[in-house]
Amino acid sequence: MNVLQSVKNLVRSKSIHVAYVDVGSCNGCDIEVLACLSPRYDIEQYGIYVHNNPREADILLVIGAYTPGWEEKLHTLWEKIPDPKVAIAVGNCPISGCLFNRPHSLIDPPVSKHIPISAEVPGCPPRPTEILTAVLSVAPIVFKDYEVSKR
Amino acid sequence: MSLPIIPYLQEIARLEWLHKFFFVRTAPLVTPSYSRGFPELTNKTCTHALFCMMACPAPGAIDVIKTPDGWEPRIHKGHCIRCGLCVEACPNGVLTSGRILESMFNDSTRLSFSFRIDVDTNLCMGCGNCAVACPVNKLIDTQMAYGGRASTDQLLLKVSDGKCHVLHAELCTGCKTCENHCPNEAIRVSRLLEAVQIAEVEP
Repeated sequence: MNVLQSVKNLVRSKSIHVAYVDVGSCNGCDIEVLACLSPRYDIEQYGIYVHNNPREADILLVIGAYTPGWEEKLHTLWEKIPDPKVAIAVGNCPISGCLFNRPHSLIDPPVSKHIPISAEVPGCPPRPTEILTAVLSVAPIVFKDYEVSKR
Repeated sequence: MSLPIIPYLQEIARLEWLHKFFFVRTAPLVTPSYSRGFPELTNKTCTHALFCMMACPAPGAIDVIKTPDGWEPRIHKGHCIRCGLCVEACPNGVLTSGRILESMFNDSTRLSFSFRIDVDTNLCMGCGNCAVACPVNKLIDTQMAYGGRASTDQLLLKVSDGKCHVLHAELCTGCKTCENHCPNEAIRVSRLLEAVQIAEVEP
C-alpha cells in the first residue's frame, strides 16, 4: 500500500459527492432525500455533499419507477459520472415499480435493467437514516483502494 | 484593565472544546420503537386465512408460503410500503409492526372487509371465464369446477342472456381470480376496507 493510495482513501472517505435523479417518482422519496440535508439528519457532517451535477458526483441516487421519457437520458447521465462511481436505488419504485407497477402503466422497472445498481434501499419512502446508512456503507466498499482493485 | 477577549481565548483553547468543535456529530439516530417498520412475525400460528394478502395495496408485497412448520406470511422488501394493513387485517395476530397491535387492542378496533364486483356490460361478452374460474363458484357447484354449465342460482357469478351477472356479491372473498381470467377486462373487484369498533371483548 503506497502513501498516495492511503491519502486518496482518506480524502475519498471524507468527501462523497452525491447527485440524485428522479426518473418518475411521486416526490415522496425526493422529500426523504431532502430531509437528509436538514439539521436533524445533516449528511454533511459525514462528508456527503449533494451537488446534483453528474460530472462531479461519486454516487448517483436513482429515485422513481423509470418512465419512458428517461429512455436514453438516464444512460447518458450515468456515462457522464467519472469513475469510481456507484448508483443507489432509493425507494421501492426503482426496485419493483411499487404501486405503479400495474397493467397499462407507462413504466419500465427495475432501473437495474438500464444502469448498474449497486445498492437498493427498500421502503415507500425509506427513512432518511436508511438512505444515509446505504450511502455510508456502499462508499467504502467501492471507493477504498479503487486504483488497486481496478487492476 | 483586562482585555475581555482573554477569557474567550481561554475558553476556546480548551482541548475539550476544540474536540467538540471539529469532531461534532449529532447523536446516533435510532429508529424509535413506535416506528412502523416492515412487518415481522410473532409466534402465533398462521391459519392461511389470507386476509393479509387481501388487504395489501402493493402488488406482490406479501405471500403466504407453506413451510415444513405450516403456513407463514413472507414480506417482500422492495414491494412492501409499510402501511401496516396486513398487521391490522390478520385475525390471528401473526404479524407485528410498531405499535399497531397494541393500539388496536386499546381502541378495540378491527378491519372489516367487503367486496364489490363491477361488470362493465359494454365490455362483457358473456364468455363465462370468470364464472368458471371463480373458486367460490367451484365450491358451490362442482359442475362449474369442470367448466360445465351452472346448475343452481346460488352462485356468485353466472352468465345469462349473454352477460355476466353478479348474483350473491356477499360470497366474494376478494381473490380477484375473475379479474385475471377476463379477456376483456370487463370485470373489476374493489375492496372496501373499513375500520370498525367492536364491543368490549373478553380477553
